[in-house]
Amino acid sequence: MARLTWRVLKPLERLGTAVENALLVLLLGAMMVLATAQIVLRLFFDAGIIWADEFLKILVLWIAMVGSVATSRNRRHLRIDLSHFLPERLSRWPLFAVDAFAAVVCGFIAWHTARYLVLASGETVLLGIPAWTVQGILPVAFGLMAYRFALCSLKEFATLFGRDGDEAG
Amino acid sequence: MIIVSVLLVVLALIGAPLFSVIAASAMLGYHREGIDLAAMAIDILGLAEIPFLSAIPLFTFAGYLLGESGAPQRLVRLTNATIGWIPGGLALVALAACALFTAFTGASGITIIALGAILYPALQHDGYPDDFNLGLVTTSGSLGLLFAPSLPLILYGVIAEVPIDSLFRAGVLPGVLMLLLLGGWSLWVNRSNRTPAHEFSFANLGAALKESAWELPLPVVVLGGIYSGFFAVSEAAAVTAVYVLVVEVFVRKEISFSHLVRIMRESMLLVGAILIILGVSLASTDYMISTQVPQRLFETVARLVSSPTTFLVLLLVFLLILGALLDIFSAIVLVVPLILPIAAQYGIDQIHLGIVFLAAMQLGYLTPPVGLNLFIASYRFDRPILEVCRATLPFLLILLASVIVITFWPELSLWLAG
Repeated sequence: MARLTWRVLKPLERLGTAVENALLVLLLGAMMVLATAQIVLRLFFDAGIIWADEFLKILVLWIAMVGSVATSRNRRHLRIDLSHFLPERLSRWPLFAVDAFAAVVCGFIAWHTARYLVLASGETVLLGIPAWTVQGILPVAFGLMAYRFALCSLKEFATLFGRDGDEAG
Repeated sequence: MIIVSVLLVVLALIGAPLFSVIAASAMLGYHREGIDLAAMAIDILGLAEIPFLSAIPLFTFAGYLLGESGAPQRLVRLTNATIGWIPGGLALVALAACALFTAFTGASGITIIALGAILYPALQHDGYPDDFNLGLVTTSGSLGLLFAPSLPLILYGVIAEVPIDSLFRAGVLPGVLMLLLLGGWSLWVNRSNRTPAHEFSFANLGAALKESAWELPLPVVVLGGIYSGFFAVSEAAAVTAVYVLVVEVFVRKEISFSHLVRIMRESMLLVGAILIILGVSLASTDYMISTQVPQRLFETVARLVSSPTTFLVLLLVFLLILGALLDIFSAIVLVVPLILPIAAQYGIDQIHLGIVFLAAMQLGYLTPPVGLNLFIASYRFDRPILEVCRATLPFLLILLASVIVITFWPELSLWLAG
């Protein structure tokens, strides 16, 4: 069963990483191009793109969210790490619990930010684009993080208690 | 209620991602006040309202890119050609090169990996004592924190809403003080080994300058641009990122395209980790301010403390403990909004507060149990963590002394800030 689930999940993970990378490169690239274009326009043509500043800020939001999803992949979120002072097996115990906790919290945020999008439907950003197209990144990102953390937690659980641990690792 | 708070603290201590703990506390707070949790979305979307925030991803990327290129070697060679002829100069070279490099790469541990790997063997080769080298390299990893355009400085400016260029100027003298004290101590420790790294020669300096010709304009453009008000900090960040990209990838061809993609991803991991904490902290801060937590905190503190000096003592102790537990970015985002209003009541300048905050947090890189530099150095140089701690201790004490000076001598920070 676990083996089968994993066969489905693994290509999905690979696809996910590729999409993350592509998005991060695209977002960061767009940020550099747009910000530089603004400077050039300001300095040499005394002009500017009206929507550029707002768009740059949206790019920051997206980088924050996509970057955060990517970060949840290999347990790189900022945390207090005391594991250096604990024996290997003991230090693994809390991981299962804290990842489960993070999964629940992210799930909650995903749900409530999705509700917000429904409540706030009709708002627009930039030049009249529906706001949900931009803000929709919130529930999507937190949903993905919830999934990621849940998966990490299950893996820890499997390593601690089950035989399936190696397969999932 | 207290039980829930204690539970959250325990979760943080056993390694829950900090953003999840902060988000949970904000949601619990909203829930208790009867506020719709959909408000979380509004708070997190606040990330797209903060001015100059694009400086953080752009500078982080530029720093990672510089770290992966040949720039660290060139920087060491140039510093060596400039001051390596001074007796005991190699230790000074290490301090100066690390400070400059950290300022540009944001004190995320890259300095130890990129520069330490060059300097540590060089110091050993020149006969410096091993413990000294280990301590020096570990300490230097976060040394340039107070110099522009370091990420923590920018983050503090963004959160405290103080002019970032004033903050950049304010960091100069305190940063120089740290360098001078550490440099003086290095010379004193090695007074028996005062052979200069080499004789000074103009040919040598010229060659090093020529080699670094492409990187040399960077500090001038970035710092000059910001100090003169020609560039906003986010614009300077964009110029830096694009310039470094063009130079290292297209001109020098030291970074391949596939490597570039990896660097972009790597750097955005750190950015994502910082900004997600900032995002959920907007919610928790919002909640705390609406329930007047800073006000109540101040009333409690005011009952214990009457003079600004006593407050600064208390603040310093608090910051040192905080720095031992939290990384600098989380600490800024989480704590600055709370202590700013309190410090203001005691008449403490926001810019001075920022420098004190960052200087104290810099010690946190070197203190157990979570000091980042200790672990990176232990890993990188394959030495037991306790050995690294012991080797770093004298440097830590010197930095502590300079932090105390910085705290109780506000003019040092404010003199250049204007």
